[in-house]
Amino acid sequence: MKWRGYACALGATAACTLAGLALGTWLELVNIAMVYLLGVVLVALYGGRGAVVAASILNIAAYNFFFVPPRSTFHVDDPQYLVTFAMMLAVGLIVSWLTETVRARAQAQADLAVQAETERIRNALLSSISHDLRTPLAVISGASSSLAEGGERMAMEERRALAQSIFRESQEMSELVAKVLQMTRLESGGLTLERDWCSIGEIGASVLRRLKPRLADHMVMIDLPADLPLARVDGALIEQALANLLENAARHTPARTLIRLRAHVDGGEMVVSVEDFGPGLPDGSLERLFDKFHPGRRGGVGLGLAICRAIVALHGGRIWAERLPGVGTAFRFSLALESPPEMPAEALAK
Amino acid sequence: MTPATILVVEDEPDIRRFLRSSLGAEGYRVVESPNGRRGTLDAGMHKPDLAIVDLGLPDFDGIEVIRHIREWSPMPIVVLSARIQERSKIEALDAGADDYVTKPFGVGELLARVRAALRHAARPSSGTELNFGETTINFEKRQALRDGAEVHLTPIEFRLLACLAKHLGMVVTHRQLLTEVWGPTHAADTHYLRVYMKQLREKLEVDPVQPRHLLTETGVGYRLMDDSGTEP
Repeated sequence: MKWRGYACALGATAACTLAGLALGTWLELVNIAMVYLLGVVLVALYGGRGAVVAASILNIAAYNFFFVPPRSTFHVDDPQYLVTFAMMLAVGLIVSWLTETVRARAQAQADLAVQAETERIRNALLSSISHDLRTPLAVISGASSSLAEGGERMAMEERRALAQSIFRESQEMSELVAKVLQMTRLESGGLTLERDWCSIGEIGASVLRRLKPRLADHMVMIDLPADLPLARVDGALIEQALANLLENAARHTPARTLIRLRAHVDGGEMVVSVEDFGPGLPDGSLERLFDKFHPGRRGGVGLGLAICRAIVALHGGRIWAERLPGVGTAFRFSLALESPPEMPAEALAK
Repeated sequence: MTPATILVVEDEPDIRRFLRSSLGAEGYRVVESPNGRRGTLDAGMHKPDLAIVDLGLPDFDGIEVIRHIREWSPMPIVVLSARIQERSKIEALDAGADDYVTKPFGVGELLARVRAALRHAARPSSGTELNFGETTINFEKRQALRDGAEVHLTPIEFRLLACLAKHLGMVVTHRQLLTEVWGPTHAADTHYLRVYMKQLREKLEVDPVQPRHLLTETGVGYRLMDDSGTEP
């Protein structure tokens, strides 16, 4: 940068001198000085202060050498020209100072804008999280204080119902906190994949077992080809991505909607899909669904799909949503297939 | 029959309180230790039937408590893990813990694990016969029956099933299974398990796609559930 500024200064001096020599026959000496001044101002606009000083000195030297009588010497006859030199240096420094001030101010404003955007996102995160936490907290503190202060006067079923709602809401909260933590961890890059040969079928069955209560209102089926190959992935993370997709499908479709977990091999990759036969997605960008805090979604900060995207990206895959022809939505992600592992001898023998 | 004694090594007083009341309500005698050092001592002093150990203790890691106990006792150990990372769970299981519950947990889940572990300790499944679903396995005769009809299992499949049955109702890590069935040189060949578990499910489960007995603990290992240990 600095080096380029000085090159600029040298170039400006050369250009001014050439212009001066070309126009010298019909330009007054004073106006040639103006040409050099213009050169200094231009350098001041684009170079730093050092370049301006260099350009001023070079220009003054060149002006003196080529134009001020006696020509071809650095000797100055008329002290008037010393004033010209001083003015040239002063103008150059002033313009350079002005440019730097303006530039610094613009940079500060840009920084402020970035800061404001970060702040806005953080505030959106905090307000949606606190909103999502406040509801279960209200239930928990209400129900538990009722139990603590008047529990003995309540019927058994009533007490149990209160206790159950405390349990349910606290689980809701802990899910949310886990998601926020996971998102933070995924974004900070502090997560390393623990890849291992995994069966998508096993992971799918394990997710369904774990989410049984949450998916109880829906019809969920696993539909995988018998010869689906193993994938080298971080099983726990892929399980989480699948869980988020299934929960998302259950949350956005009416009860008794069919949700289907599928997978197929497509070229060198495996495509895993969660398809639902619900009312489908409203018009709009499908890509934005995966943004953090995608607006306008019920129940939740919308971290689930963002976490899925981060997990899939960490595996080097893609994730996308499709409107199914007719009705319904598919969320799909791809995982690269590696050459299958060496199999145990007994399995090969059969 | 005297009630089973359960040692609870946990530093959070509030968690100890609800463990004490819910375990007490189930008829267990509860001994509480607030840290790892006390826990190790109490384990030797009270000789409990089962230990519940929190992994995040203030003085030293719960895994150390497990190692200390394992030096002299085979008592079942159930781990409470607040960390969502699989690794600490696996480390605890490989150090000798029998099962784990991830915080925050419902008491129902913990009680189910405790019951399974105590049942297992009372009747170590070195037994020759195993029943689940429509399946009966006789390890001595190396015979598997499903709906009364014989199913052919390979020697490896038998060994794998026997290893799971030895820890009936409890989780067995990939490493434990691979070491026991294929030997220490194959301790990292998880894909062997994927292949054989799939075969076992196809032979023994009514619905191999959504199994009820040969269960996957993603990232950790497998668990064999018989009919008495239905899922919490």
